[in-house]
Amino acid sequence: MSGRILDINQRKVWVLESGSGAPLLYLHGFADVHSVKENWMPFHERLTDRACVFAPAHPGCAQTDENNDIDTIDDVIFHYLEVLDALKLTTFDLVGSCVGGWIAAEIAARHPEKIRKLVLIGATGLFVEGALIGDVFMMAQPEYGSSYASLREMLFSGANQPTALEMFPDGKGDLEDEVRRYQMLRFSSRIGFKPPYFYNRPLRNRLNRIRSPALVIWGEQDHMVPRVHGETYAKLIPDSGELIIIPGAGHSVHVEKPAETANLVLDFLGK
Amino acid sequence: MKPVQLFCWHFMAYPYLDKDFDQKQYSGWVTVPNSLWDNRKARGLYQEYIDQLAYADELGFDGMVLNEHHQNIYGLMPSPNLIASALTQRTTRGKIVILGNLLPLHMNPMRVAEEYAMLDQMSNGRLIAGFAPGGGPETFNYDVPSANTREKFWEAADLIVRSWTEDGPFAHEGRYFPLRYVNLWPKPLQKPFPPVWIPGSRSPSTMKEVAKRGYCYFLSSRSHGGETHRAQQEFAAVLEQHGDHYHPFRFGILMSTYIAETDQQAREECEEGVWYFLKNCLKGHLRREGRQLTYGPGVPYIPAAAWREYLKGYTPGRKLLGDVENWEELEASQSIIVGSPETVTRRIQNLIEKAKVGNLLIQFQLGNMPDSLARKNMKLFAEKVAPALREQSVKVFDKQFAGVNLEPATEALH
Repeated sequence: MSGRILDINQRKVWVLESGSGAPLLYLHGFADVHSVKENWMPFHERLTDRACVFAPAHPGCAQTDENNDIDTIDDVIFHYLEVLDALKLTTFDLVGSCVGGWIAAEIAARHPEKIRKLVLIGATGLFVEGALIGDVFMMAQPEYGSSYASLREMLFSGANQPTALEMFPDGKGDLEDEVRRYQMLRFSSRIGFKPPYFYNRPLRNRLNRIRSPALVIWGEQDHMVPRVHGETYAKLIPDSGELIIIPGAGHSVHVEKPAETANLVLDFLGK
Repeated sequence: MKPVQLFCWHFMAYPYLDKDFDQKQYSGWVTVPNSLWDNRKARGLYQEYIDQLAYADELGFDGMVLNEHHQNIYGLMPSPNLIASALTQRTTRGKIVILGNLLPLHMNPMRVAEEYAMLDQMSNGRLIAGFAPGGGPETFNYDVPSANTREKFWEAADLIVRSWTEDGPFAHEGRYFPLRYVNLWPKPLQKPFPPVWIPGSRSPSTMKEVAKRGYCYFLSSRSHGGETHRAQQEFAAVLEQHGDHYHPFRFGILMSTYIAETDQQAREECEEGVWYFLKNCLKGHLRREGRQLTYGPGVPYIPAAAWREYLKGYTPGRKLLGDVENWEELEASQSIIVGSPETVTRRIQNLIEKAKVGNLLIQFQLGNMPDSLARKNMKLFAEKVAPALREQSVKVFDKQFAGVNLEPATEALH
């Protein structure tokens, strides 16, 4: 594992960094590096074979300092503009999953010139009438005092998916994993809890500003972000192909099908 | 020193659920289907409950307690201020305690400042003003993001007190509630301002904030094993750190009781209401069964470092109050004290002596307990238990707190 601490306005930002090749910024979701795991997972490792991957932890996640001034997605975008400056990334590939996908789409719509290619995996961020994004916060409250089955069900294809059980076990999990899970919920509650619920209503009409080619990937059984959100991203980003559905995977596509998803991403980026 | 202050707390549960509610319904909170509300049965329910509170005033209780809950069967008071308003006109002597208005749920804290000021005027200075941040269910009720809830809460509480004490108009340049013209009409009657009570569940940061401001700390726990005594000691230590001194009226607890002529009769009369309360009203709140919303990672209002400490000592799946399986377990929880006047007197006297607590906020109507039994319970308490508690508490407090000034040191704030 190699990472570093950036110092941004007297706040620490923790970034995992490895691989060689074109720069790739990865923004994490709920079942992911920084939000559960301390280190790269198989999906990210596969990316580092062909790209120089930077994965910052969101404010308040892992070793990144919390920022109580974050209220809206705008605050998060400005935070990431500082991170990009500190990493000296001017043009790069941008890959985001879940909330990370939302942040990625926002960055791409505001600063299209910075993005070489964009990949969204089960991204939140859009308002689609009649297709509410699932309530991950309520699902994160255990049932029977100790069961995270409904959280696993929301984030994966099923509650008994093996990686889901390893990352979100019932009862007492690994203390540090549990703390990271908590930090991610706390961070995302700042921008995703109050309606707009994990979305920014104007984003939809800004997607036409994105200039880079885009790949939108969704799990066949995403129980958190309805598929119509993926279809909407794919339709409204001018240079996006059709929505790619990964069979047998849930919301955390890249965790359930790491090799398949990484290969799709690398093929797209290498074209 | 004055005797222990005895308050009658009414939660106003929805009492008309079918017997199979627990089998059929996942929760009594937030998502409990409101199709269960039955107007044919519920007509007149508020009148019955308000009458019980007015009866408490007649019986000589020191006050009546109300609180705010939303979207649940546990407490039908989304706006306790409405009930308080009725009580200002139905009662004449007892304090009216609202514990409290959930400040982060109010878009503008001035609304709370105004309504409390009105209630203080309408009640001729009988308001005790409670402010609470709300817990997990309330987070879901009104979509209140968790992370900054506490900061937001204290900004609102301080603004309200400032609006009561400082002449307006003034501008409040706060992070969460910036307001150009703060200029309260009416002002509250009590000077410098109505007593402020803040509930907490032993979090050191809440105790510290309460101590800094000279307010009364109310322990929101429903069980009274060793932790009530520990909470008192912790709060006393925090007060000392702030150059203040503990006395029994800086501290309050919530408890439930049922009294009848004998221990056996008391149990028989209250058991249906007690189980209704434990299994239905606490489902989603203080039961592991279903999904407990009150505390947990989905409502992350404490900082991550504090959460880590909490996790270290936490046993997943441990029993909560509503998970008790039999009467003996319930007795051991010391949450609901049931028995003859002698039994109840003895047990509450122990609690007063041990926890040095001066404000007892007591629930008499539990779950679906019928009006006649709730009233009988209150009457027996007022006539057969309260006098002994008052007599004993004066002796205990005089001995333990001789020479302690009862006025809180509120200068710190102003």
